[in-house]
Amino acid sequence: MLFLTVLYDPECGLCRRAHEWLNDQLKLVELNFVPCASDEARQRYPQLNHDLTKQDLTVISEDGWVYFGPKAWLMVLWALTRYRDWSYRLAAPELLPTTKRVVSVISQNRYQISRVAGLTR
Amino acid sequence: MTIGLSTYLIYVAISIALTIWVGRTLHKNGRVFLVDVFHGNDALADSVNHLLVVGFYLINFGYVSLALKLGYAIETAEQSVEALSVKIGMVLLVLGGMHLFNLFVFSRMRRRATAHHRPPIGPDAFTPVQQEAA
Repeated sequence: MLFLTVLYDPECGLCRRAHEWLNDQLKLVELNFVPCASDEARQRYPQLNHDLTKQDLTVISEDGWVYFGPKAWLMVLWALTRYRDWSYRLAAPELLPTTKRVVSVISQNRYQISRVAGLTR
Repeated sequence: MTIGLSTYLIYVAISIALTIWVGRTLHKNGRVFLVDVFHGNDALADSVNHLLVVGFYLINFGYVSLALKLGYAIETAEQSVEALSVKIGMVLLVLGGMHLFNLFVFSRMRRRATAHHRPPIGPDAFTPVQQEAA
């Protein structure tokens, strides 16, 4: 795996902040950011359900494997030099249910979190 | 030479011989593992191998030295053999423990080196990728 395409929500302040943070991190796998449900995304992935990608983070490998929601978060962690170890830890069978729950809560409430944290435009 | 002193000397001689034997075994057979872990970087593998073996020797000789004292006087040859069996038995157990620990370290390093390229989880779905149209 050489690079991952990250379909992120450009409307959400938290996501934009995470995007900036990710740009500064050392990576083992290149991350290519594309706004979700944008023309670019629709052109690249003609058969993808783009309404679904608006609901949660989506990561797609260069050969077309789709990781959605918590799995997408883990793949992003895995791409980072400093956090690859953490991606394995959080994906371990004992921790995976907790990881999924926490990530879902953050994803579903991302607009509220952005507002409270003052990350709205 | 008293029987007590000769018991101590026999204990030291057997312990040193055993430690060196196990240390050499580790050194010789651990190298293959480490070369694999470091993707064929022989110099790094030799260096780590050597450092691990030095630590192994230090801990074992430290234990042999600390466990030398018997705490009671030996008068007969039977007592000497019994005392030796207890002391050497302890040295063997410590050596065994250290050996297994070393194997654990080697296998862990190897697993980490080989498992690191796989993504942590499997994908949810597949979608065809439209190659960038020029």
